[in-house]
Amino acid sequence: MGRTSKDKRDVYYRLAKENGWRARSAFKLLQLDEEFHLFQGVTRAVDLCAAPGSWSQVLSQKIGGQGPGRVVAVDLQAMAPLPGVIQIQGDITQLSTAKEIIQHFEGCHADLVVCDGAPDVTGLHDVDEYMQAQLLLAALNIATHVLKPGGCFVAKIFRGRDVTLLYSQLRVFFSSVLCAKPRSSRNSSIEAFAVCRGYDPPEGFVADLTKPLLDHSYDSDFNQLDGPTRIIVPFVTCGDLSAYDSDRSYPLNLQDGSEYKYTPPTQPPISPPYQEACTLKKKGQLAKETHPQDCPISRVDALSQPLAAIQCHTVLGPEIKDNKMNCTP
Amino acid sequence: MDALGDYVWPRATSELILLPVTGLECVGDRLLAGEGPDVLVYSLDFGGHLRMMKRVQNLLGHYLIHGFRVRPEPNGDLDSEAMVAVFGSKGLRIVKISWGQSRFRELWRSGLWNMSDWIWDVRWLEGNVALALGHNSVLLYDPVVGCMLQDVPCTDRCTLSSACLIGDTWKELTVVAGAISNQLLVWYPAAALADNKPVAPDRRVSGHVGVIFSMSYLESKGLLATASEDRSVRIWKVGDLRVPGGRVQNIGHCFGHSARVWQVKLLENYLISAGEDCVCLVWSHEGEILQAFRGHQGRGIRALAAHEMQAWVITGGDDSGIRLWHLAGRGYPGLGVSALSFKSPSRPGTLKAVTLAGSWRLLTVTDTGALYLYDLEVKCWEKLLEDKHFQSYCLLEAAPGPEGLGLCAMANGEGCVKVVPINTPTAAVDHGLFAGKVHSLSWALRGYEELLLLASGPGGVMACLEISAALSGKAIFVTERCRYLLPPSKQRWHTCSAFVPPGDFLVCGDRRGSVLLFPSRPEVLKDPGVGGKAEAGSGPVGGDSGTDGSNAVAEWSPVSTLHSLHGKQGVTSVTCHAGYVYSTGRDGAYYQLLVRGGQLQPVLRQKTCRGMNWVAGLHMVPDGSMVILGFHANEFVVWSPRSHEKLHVVSCGGGHRSWAFSDTEAAMAFAYLKDGDVMLYQALGGCTRPHVILREGLHGREITCVKRVGAITLGPEFQVPCLEQPDFLEPGSEGPGLTDIVITCSEDTTVCVLALPTTTGSAHALTAVCNHISSVRAMAVWGLGTPGGSHSPQPGLTANIVSAGGRAEMHCFSIVVSPDSGTPSGLACHVMHLSSHRLDDYWDQQRNRHRMVKVDPETRYMSLAICEPDRPGVGPLVAAACSDGAVRLFVLQDSGRILQLFAETFHHERCVLKVHSFTHEAPNQQRRLFLCSAATDGSLAFWDLTTVLDHGSALLEPPAEPGLPYQLGTPCLTLQAHSCGINSLHTMPTREGHHLVASGSEDGSLHVFVLAVKAPELEEAVGEPELMPQLHVLEEYSVPCAHAAHVTGLKILSPTLMVSASIDQRLTFWRLGHGEPTFMNSTVYHVPDVADMDCWPVSPEFGHRCALGGQGLEVYNWYD
Ligand SMILES: C[S@@+](CC[C@H](N)C(=O)[O-])C[C@H]1O[C@@H](n2cnc3c(N)ncnc32)[C@H](O)[C@@H]1O
Repeated sequence: MGRTSKDKRDVYYRLAKENGWRARSAFKLLQLDEEFHLFQGVTRAVDLCAAPGSWSQVLSQKIGGQGPGRVVAVDLQAMAPLPGVIQIQGDITQLSTAKEIIQHFEGCHADLVVCDGAPDVTGLHDVDEYMQAQLLLAALNIATHVLKPGGCFVAKIFRGRDVTLLYSQLRVFFSSVLCAKPRSSRNSSIEAFAVCRGYDPPEGFVADLTKPLLDHSYDSDFNQLDGPTRIIVPFVTCGDLSAYDSDRSYPLNLQDGSEYKYTPPTQPPISPPYQEACTLKKKGQLAKETHPQDCPISRVDALSQPLAAIQCHTVLGPEIKDNKMNCTP
Repeated sequence: MDALGDYVWPRATSELILLPVTGLECVGDRLLAGEGPDVLVYSLDFGGHLRMMKRVQNLLGHYLIHGFRVRPEPNGDLDSEAMVAVFGSKGLRIVKISWGQSRFRELWRSGLWNMSDWIWDVRWLEGNVALALGHNSVLLYDPVVGCMLQDVPCTDRCTLSSACLIGDTWKELTVVAGAISNQLLVWYPAAALADNKPVAPDRRVSGHVGVIFSMSYLESKGLLATASEDRSVRIWKVGDLRVPGGRVQNIGHCFGHSARVWQVKLLENYLISAGEDCVCLVWSHEGEILQAFRGHQGRGIRALAAHEMQAWVITGGDDSGIRLWHLAGRGYPGLGVSALSFKSPSRPGTLKAVTLAGSWRLLTVTDTGALYLYDLEVKCWEKLLEDKHFQSYCLLEAAPGPEGLGLCAMANGEGCVKVVPINTPTAAVDHGLFAGKVHSLSWALRGYEELLLLASGPGGVMACLEISAALSGKAIFVTERCRYLLPPSKQRWHTCSAFVPPGDFLVCGDRRGSVLLFPSRPEVLKDPGVGGKAEAGSGPVGGDSGTDGSNAVAEWSPVSTLHSLHGKQGVTSVTCHAGYVYSTGRDGAYYQLLVRGGQLQPVLRQKTCRGMNWVAGLHMVPDGSMVILGFHANEFVVWSPRSHEKLHVVSCGGGHRSWAFSDTEAAMAFAYLKDGDVMLYQALGGCTRPHVILREGLHGREITCVKRVGAITLGPEFQVPCLEQPDFLEPGSEGPGLTDIVITCSEDTTVCVLALPTTTGSAHALTAVCNHISSVRAMAVWGLGTPGGSHSPQPGLTANIVSAGGRAEMHCFSIVVSPDSGTPSGLACHVMHLSSHRLDDYWDQQRNRHRMVKVDPETRYMSLAICEPDRPGVGPLVAAACSDGAVRLFVLQDSGRILQLFAETFHHERCVLKVHSFTHEAPNQQRRLFLCSAATDGSLAFWDLTTVLDHGSALLEPPAEPGLPYQLGTPCLTLQAHSCGINSLHTMPTREGHHLVASGSEDGSLHVFVLAVKAPELEEAVGEPELMPQLHVLEEYSVPCAHAAHVTGLKILSPTLMVSASIDQRLTFWRLGHGEPTFMNSTVYHVPDVADMDCWPVSPEFGHRCALGGQGLEVYNWYD
């Protein structure tokens, strides 16, 4: 497979490179805006979990207002600088990072808070869903401090087992909560975006950074675990039907007639955690188990045990395995 | 809805779960394994019995188990009873279990306690427990009554990725928390001045550049180990962590894993780590790797336990497998490479070839024509003979069988073969065969009765010599039996040979990669009927092969040839075992073949481990399993396909030099020439390893499709063996067993055949098909039958299966499942590969391809449907939903042996997600076949296949170029059912003669409608292609928020009942038939990312079984 194979498989990946976006996610925000006009009247915005920065690119291009400080971008990872974007590196779930963000908004509110955060998935579904929910709740907690009344909050959600708990949480703070999926997000992906409009905290609510917002739990009346009553917010597909299909594989020469030319990625990742391990591996310096030939027995008679003394350690022969995968009591 | 209405309907009950093993713990001589919400209890009985005793169901409700903490007993007695805290996600439960007199019992369980936050660690503090929670806080909790006693947060509030609690009292309780910022925070909850008052961290430790997934503290040595996303394990000298302010020093930074490290555990003398690379490493505390355990498949090892007294490590995988390994410290005992010190003034010449006659005699020849023997027990060299005719060129091969039957053969460049009895080399027999060089030499042994030596000479002639011994044992006789002729090629010689039981045929492999079948006694086979259908040219050919004109003996051609099966590099071995022939080759594959009616038939291509691109041989181990020998770059590898373990790895420099292998129960030996000496690798215990597979894994990655094939009733003689003790008796496991046969396919590129006995709630993997090169996404079944056909039906089941997935690849194969009392499931499954298809191959074969748009080889097949016309002579059609926007139709002919692309349509213009076929039958009308396709834009299209087939190309647009598929015309109905992708689709005929159509979408909605088919009456239809059926929608309903995520499973079970499954992990039943579908009830299941569901009725009651496949497999029962 050559370097073009990803271009064929993922048309948005390719379009992002061709349009100078740092990530294909840019199209998700653009398509969300197409549907909800998120940027209308927005002069100040917070981009949480922003690296490599395509949403910040979109925000800094699309929102009104002048001067620096219009967009505050936060991520765990380092991010290449962008004009007009203030960057903070840190964990958004951490108290100190949250405080730092809020400082930028003392006296003037943000109109829009977006969060495209996703944990590095471990493949253990319940852990990943929990971690994702904590990012959303941390973003919500920050939003409750910086968002102007009536402001808008957009955050990535994983639609897994407990997503209705997040919906019920968001409903507490916003007059309208929808679930939106841009067409540039794949059918096979469980990600979607909670689009929350009309920030309206409950009466008497005092934002408190020091306490994490914890997820709601199921109750027997309004949000049941396995009953018919669940808080499932309306679903909206964004981006018009003529948009490219992110699940489809496209030939390299797209229909608009333009000739295909390979474009290198706009912004390669900055120092991933596995960098050192990879460097060591390339140099063949990963630790290896000692193979017998690495400690050769130089002369024949050095064989420590006669060959006849066998099976001293086969108390459990491999034949006594349990083939049964499962039994009920 | 009120509570009463809720429970009118019975709920679905889970009866089988196969999920990643996420928790493991040894308690006394028991092993607890957490799988989903259930605990599996294994007995690690040291007497040599190792088995599962019990499944304790549903300990954690809808949570998954992530760990166990056994309450330490003051008197240290954990021999027969224990209190265990079981936790995972936000749930905690205490169970008291006992296993006295080998009866396992659950004595008591507490309530299921729900925490407000994620539980990372639990620690018993006398009668209470401390919990380390998700946002860096600690709870003191009374687990018996279920109440919180204290709640202390850390001032540094952040989300954690792991935590470790240390200490036995609240006073000394120490938290080591792994923050998302990669730091370790050490703090003391008891330092809180008041409840809820945050405590500041005492120490912060940085080092890792990725998040920390696991920690382990070894109090006795004051060590802490951490495992991280950065693929490293760090060892820290921390002293007593319970003392504030201590120094933390990083004393080891261990890189050895090739992916993220999920688990780490410190033992008194070792450090064990395991991760995403499916490898479990054993390190010394100094950071040296002592052992590596490989064998799990898929996305990694999730759980780790150790039994220090027995020196066992137990690992649980994402593949739901559980394995037990032996800690042996540095390397394995009795392993080693030694140089046999051949070079000596008394042994002139350089070594040319080496061979092993059994496990203790090694033979070698030099370029002086001398043959030497090395006795591995006496450890000394002995010269057997010297013959200058064998100076410049000499082949050497020891006979097969125990101790090589005491024979070896040499061959030279002048067409001469020498057979040497090793004990009496003076009795060696010379036999002149050819005028030129002998290219290759191999043996074939049938029982102890018949021993043949095959030698290839010039012109592709292979002479067959019969070797027999005099009764005295002193003399041997060599007689030429016959000559065979190999198919023409540049390097025209054979490479290997074996008898095919019972012995009528010899199977050989040649240098050109072909596998050949010869009659072993061609002269008695004059009557071509005996050997089955003899091919043209299988008779004797006059000795016209040119180079060898000396004697005009008849030369026999093969009766059956699989031409170039292993490609240009050649076949390396042929082996017969359990009714099959196995061939290996330098193409990195091994094939399972069958000899039927005198013909060779390929059954399956099998894959070896990654990187073994030179498969050198196949060997049956005394325990009945098979190992593969091969070369992986410059290493010789013995690999077990059953356990996926590399049993032996020898850096020998590659397979190009002379080498030999032998294996007995006692020892395995591998000899090779290197630097002018003979090197010998020996391993005690041979190719069997003491490691135990407690439970076989299933797929290593997501299951993408599940299909039930059928059911088999097993008579009492084929009872699934019950474990003897009464405790192990499963209720209802007596009596005739009905077993469902289910197939699953997965992103791990395999298709698996499973047996699910209905009464025991167990699952047995029968076989895996590994032909796909990319992920498998869809399957369809046709031609269900019984072995022996309809004339003489035998118990069992046969079916044809087509599977398809990534890289535009499709395979057809048939399965035969029949009773076999020798297997744990009581069943055996034989697979036969029938045909395959790849879109880009198809394109490559087209003559005018420069004028066509190349089919994208990255196209994925998303879904398949079989459409069976009821007309004789017309094979079934396979409809495929393709990611490049096409619906493609393939025809299957000759019972699946031919698979051809027939027609396609790009109607949808976007990724097609689902296809489904159904038939319409009505009195007075022709039976009609319909196909329904669904795409990512939420639209459905219906296609009338009967008309297409009836009128053939008349209704199809002919292809633009000959050789291209036809174009399907316009669909007979299109419908916008959803606003986005359709992930499930099903239909069912109604009593009124209509069809219920249901679809489920990415947006969580369901769409149900009644479809009426107005078809022409039979008489009027004759010969009138214009009279196409008309489709109308009668009633149409939509349920917008049926689920909170993609509806990936949907089945109409009856005209009044429907079931849906979604990624939101709810299985929901719906009433149909009274207008809008109405909610009946719903169950939370445990398999994440469900991609497919199949349902089938179960008798005798009106019940249904639903199998859900995703990141695991779960089966539910539901009774109406
Ligand atoms: C999908 S990417 C965001 C892409 C971005 N919106 C863009 O358009 O370029 C998700 C990001 O979330 C960040 N992230 C994950 N957990 C975080 C945390 N706790 N605090 C801050 N950022 C986090 C990751 O570092 C990652 O860069």
